[in-house]
Amino acid sequence: MRYAFLDEEAKKEIRRSILKAIAIPGYIVSFASREMPVARGWGTGGLQVTLAIINESDTLKVIDQGCDGSVNAVNIRNFIHSVTNVKTTTSTKEASIIQTRHRVPEIELKEGQTLVYQVPMPDILETVEPNTAKAKLMHANANYSKLWVLLYEDTSMFGDSRISNRYPVLVNNRYAMDPSPIPKYDTLKLNNCKALQLFGAGREKKIYAIPPYTKVEPLKFEDKEFKVESFQGHFCNRCGSKNSFLDEVYLDDGRVKYFCNDTDYCDMNLQGKL
Amino acid sequence: MAYYAIKGGEDAIRNSLHFYKDKIENSNNLEEEKIINSLGFAIDKILSEGSLYSKKLASQAIKRSAGDLLNAAFFLRAHRSSCQRIGICKPLDVNNMKIKRRISSSFKDIEGGQILGASNDYEIKLLIEQESLEYNYENYSDKTNIIKSALTPLREDGLVKVLKEEEEPWDITRSFPLAPYPRSALMQMMSRGESGSMLGFAYTSMRGYGDVHPTIGDLRVGSLDINFTHPFSNKEVKIGEIEATSVECVGTFNKDEDDEVKLTTGFGFCFGENETKAISMSILDLTLYNNTYSVGTENIIASDFEMIMQHIDGIESFGFANHYKLPHYVTFQTDFQIFKSAKKYAQEEKE
Repeated sequence: MRYAFLDEEAKKEIRRSILKAIAIPGYIVSFASREMPVARGWGTGGLQVTLAIINESDTLKVIDQGCDGSVNAVNIRNFIHSVTNVKTTTSTKEASIIQTRHRVPEIELKEGQTLVYQVPMPDILETVEPNTAKAKLMHANANYSKLWVLLYEDTSMFGDSRISNRYPVLVNNRYAMDPSPIPKYDTLKLNNCKALQLFGAGREKKIYAIPPYTKVEPLKFEDKEFKVESFQGHFCNRCGSKNSFLDEVYLDDGRVKYFCNDTDYCDMNLQGKL
Repeated sequence: MAYYAIKGGEDAIRNSLHFYKDKIENSNNLEEEKIINSLGFAIDKILSEGSLYSKKLASQAIKRSAGDLLNAAFFLRAHRSSCQRIGICKPLDVNNMKIKRRISSSFKDIEGGQILGASNDYEIKLLIEQESLEYNYENYSDKTNIIKSALTPLREDGLVKVLKEEEEPWDITRSFPLAPYPRSALMQMMSRGESGSMLGFAYTSMRGYGDVHPTIGDLRVGSLDINFTHPFSNKEVKIGEIEATSVECVGTFNKDEDDEVKLTTGFGFCFGENETKAISMSILDLTLYNNTYSVGTENIIASDFEMIMQHIDGIESFGFANHYKLPHYVTFQTDFQIFKSAKKYAQEEKE
């Protein structure tokens, strides 16, 4: 098998798309998107981005909904390891590349790290305009009025936007961007992040990026607070953390307990290494 | 406890793969040659949808997926991504096809004749054993049987609307176009689209959501030579043959760019013997590019370029449908919190 699975032409194309994406923060770059041995919708976009940038000196971490041990994360990590032989880790601090599905690690990322998001729907305008030609024109004109109208209608009817995850953000005061289905809790971590953030959508054949130290803000009305998920009164039943994103777990006896969603954070906290 | 169950991914996958291996053990024992010779239509379907012409790999894929053909086509596509492209073959002309079967429903009598070839179109579909029929036929050789499309006379007389030719065809495997999509890109998308999805969309335009009632001008199944310019000798050499299906369908008439009234046609082409798919493709082509006669409805799904370009690929749609099996507990939790606060807000508003 070829190093990093993809043929060299494909890698070259993906790298060029990534460079273009970094040069225009939040802008959606089209790419050919090869079929991967993992099904469409299971992270083929993130996978292609990772395989195009990875080399022997990298240390790889893969998480799925916050967990390194989740089936899809295991599957993807094993595949990347089998075609590159790179060192893998579950530690956020040690990783140089972190491929993620729908979470930003709790431990703050640092310079030199790359966070690769798996993206199902790359264009936030899809919510309000499914026609891609029209959506492209709206991006060109920075015309996000339809998103604002949606936000207004939701606020008037339900007191807040009904968008719970993949909440729209404005990147570098210019492009409205889909941050992938991360919780609102994670949305604020995109802002001024020290790491490079790359987004790959395999099925939809799109790549976009947020360079380090870029301004990223959730789309919201000036007089409205951006409310994130709250776990008030709850704490992790394993490490005791009170300030992390928690999973609600139903025990066999019907009781509900809470645990850290980010398993690396939970482990580090337990070992007193935070 | 559930929390730890989530972390057991590594073992779970290994065990699950092990069980699956047991499940497909019998399929794995099938001889590839036998699959190729006995399940030809299954092979042809996945060759076409996997967009990789290798019957041997296709038979392996069928074994590995125990007959799940969407999965089998996925194996071929994935394999394709690790193959380096050597070059591009000479354009194929379906008029040069060595024909095994060729029919036209537009004309009773056509040059070269109607050749039914092997088909069970007219079989009475009963599962009970039927007595074998006597048959007699003239010998013909598909080696020399090359006949031009039945629409050629009409085309030569300038009666058929001709769409503008693109200078350089798009290649969707090397760069994916943005809308408006060039026709070559759409045709490639359809040529490797999923047969059932394409049939479904084509059917909408034949039924209530459009008014495309085409006739089959020329449907042909046969083999085509693949020619290639030799990198050293620079001479054109034949490197192989592929089996393919091609369809030209005829729709209503329409005015062309020069305001002349012309007959409109649609084209379908794919690897292997896939007649339903090729017919569907020709109808979709016709619906997309000659959709001005609709009277019944404005809601013509099959004439929407986005609808066809983005929704007919089997590998993509089946992958995405199956991704719902992945854990979604974070996304669901966020949904649930929003739901609870919206419900509370609506309740308070009421009071």
